[in-house]
Amino acid sequence: MKKVQFKSNYSQYFFLAPQLLILLIFLYWPIIQTFKDAFTMQDAFGFGSQFAGFDNFLFIFSDPSYFTAFKFTIIYSFVITLITGSIGLLLAVQANKVMHGKSAYKTLLIWPYAIAPAVVGVMANYFFSERYGLLHHLFNNLWGFNWYENVFDAYIYVIIAGSWKQISANFIFFLAGLQAIQKTVIEASIIDCKSNIRRFWTITFPLLMPTTFFLIIINITYAFFDTFGIIDTTTIGAPGSETKTLVYKAYIDGFKGLDLGSAGAQSIMMMIIVLVITIFQFRYIEGKIHYN
Amino acid sequence: MKKLISIFVLLVSFAFTSNSYSKTEIHWWYGNSGFLGDVIIEIANRFNESQDEYMVIPTGKGSYEDNMAATIAAFRAGDQPHYSQVYDAGAAIMVAQVKNGVVIGFEEMAEKYGIDVDADNYIPGIKNFYADGDGKMIGVPFNSSTCLMYANMDILNEVGIEEVPKTYEEFEGMAQKILDAGYIPLLQSHSPWIWTENFFSRHNLLMTDGNNGYDAVPTKTLFAETEAFVYHWTKVKEWYEKGWYGYKGRAWGDNQAPFTNGEAAFWFGSAASFGGMKGVLPNFTTNPIPYWDSVTDGKEYPTFIGGAANWILNGHTEEEYKGLAKFIEFMGSPEMDLYYHNMTGYAAVTKGGIELAETINFYRASPYHKAVGDQLGLEGSTIPGGYRAGNWPQIREVIYENVEPMLNGDITVEKALSNMDKGAAKLLKQFAKTL
Repeated sequence: MKKVQFKSNYSQYFFLAPQLLILLIFLYWPIIQTFKDAFTMQDAFGFGSQFAGFDNFLFIFSDPSYFTAFKFTIIYSFVITLITGSIGLLLAVQANKVMHGKSAYKTLLIWPYAIAPAVVGVMANYFFSERYGLLHHLFNNLWGFNWYENVFDAYIYVIIAGSWKQISANFIFFLAGLQAIQKTVIEASIIDCKSNIRRFWTITFPLLMPTTFFLIIINITYAFFDTFGIIDTTTIGAPGSETKTLVYKAYIDGFKGLDLGSAGAQSIMMMIIVLVITIFQFRYIEGKIHYN
Repeated sequence: MKKLISIFVLLVSFAFTSNSYSKTEIHWWYGNSGFLGDVIIEIANRFNESQDEYMVIPTGKGSYEDNMAATIAAFRAGDQPHYSQVYDAGAAIMVAQVKNGVVIGFEEMAEKYGIDVDADNYIPGIKNFYADGDGKMIGVPFNSSTCLMYANMDILNEVGIEEVPKTYEEFEGMAQKILDAGYIPLLQSHSPWIWTENFFSRHNLLMTDGNNGYDAVPTKTLFAETEAFVYHWTKVKEWYEKGWYGYKGRAWGDNQAPFTNGEAAFWFGSAASFGGMKGVLPNFTTNPIPYWDSVTDGKEYPTFIGGAANWILNGHTEEEYKGLAKFIEFMGSPEMDLYYHNMTGYAAVTKGGIELAETINFYRASPYHKAVGDQLGLEGSTIPGGYRAGNWPQIREVIYENVEPMLNGDITVEKALSNMDKGAAKLLKQFAKTL
């Protein structure tokens, strides 16, 4: 490869400038602003602003509904990751076997991915409506479903609403992963082992590990951040504050309650949580994955 | 390319001509949608047609909360509208902003620009709700509602009940009959507004210390220590368990739907709710909200004003405020007041509007409209006509968060109410720090 030497010392900055500017305006500026909000106390219009130290953090830590939101977010992201991952994998494996009409299956299974979370929430709303909801009636006949007051039922509601769309994302990536596995490996394994299931768990699944790892991270961030629209159009956090995610709670406090200090502190807590999860994943899980 | 440029030039010149109409623009942001939003646009249109110096441009921002958040964000960016609709729960925040120069009080505006509608023209209950500690009116009353009881008369006739209940005791006497006939006896659409804030006003009880915040910045709510309030929720829980009261979550519409569909006998909602019911539900009436006879000894007290007011925001030119003053005058005229009252069901807010309604025998033609004025016009209250408590939107959230676990039996009524007090006290303290 030929090396290009620039004469000017500054031209590289010129070419970098647009990207840096975008980062600065849309990433660093809001982050700095968030830190400022988190450590000050101010009224809704920004007056009476004064340095508050860790008061805003103490305020959220003394709020029982903050811990409820924390608990729910952890449960929610764990369950969503598990459900969407396993169903996505199952569908991908099945779709990979299909010989005829392969692309039709693929297209149909990928479709839900194109739907915005808020729209998914509105659709779920219909399914769980007490008046004309199919799923509401089904569950009601099974065990007396009432998400207005029963926490477990509300969990089912938001988990189904949150998983449906994300299954498609898992499906696409698993399918791509399956197709990337070399035929020779599969053929060789068929000679060695007759059992389909055993072959899957000992050969195919380990080879899918990089995809799985990637999807775990994607699913957790999805459950953390992108389910906002789903919560807002389904349970709005009820009953109590049992189905509020951390993002939803920050939104309610910041935009409906107009308390920017508390919302800022909550955003910083979220940053820390995501940082910890990501470090943990890369440190302890990635080491066990073989990319080749 | 030449063609493209000429099209571009044409478009730009259009954009400029439509903007520089030589009329002074006044921006009005609101938080109503659907039919109520359409009425707001109609009001602006009527004003714009009535004169040609000024043009009011109404912009809907979504819900009340959305509009308040949008107004604040716009102010912080220096791009605020002239006039913005802010709801009851945000009143304390807006009144507190007069001293920061965010909000211009109505009386100050009226004095400076000679608005022909003075503060005394608005009926007292409404005037006081949007006034500061000295009784000076800050917000301009607009859509003023209160909670009312809607009754499905067909169901009542079917089970043989002749009169709608005036008190909760009377309701208890008929609830089982209604349930036995296969209907939901009672629903309501807003636990914080109807069964908390207006429980206190209806029974002439103080809701927070500092005389509901009118005398001093409140530090706590009086939920758990008000015996009548504990009694009320204990009863509500009992009703819920017996099936006399049906809870359909937090969404306003989910609680209203069974009533509109003829499955419930009574529903508590807003005075402005009947629009969607007319023509759907054949035989219903609007009535004052019940009260506990045992608490008030048979006396009835007025409820707080709900809904919203319009607030004048600082930072615009003299000429624009002159136009806004004209617009406020226009909206305060008896004709417009009655027009709005008639279209939406919100209360008539001016004395002129009420007089006009009486002269034309308006309530005989439309009895739905009467209850709101009757209930708000009651006299004899010793508490202020509102509450001045900051962070109230979040306190409403705290109330909701504790109502549900109370109804499903996770926590006792006493525990739920003391949780509400604790949560509210923290939020009130937080607000006090920013004053």
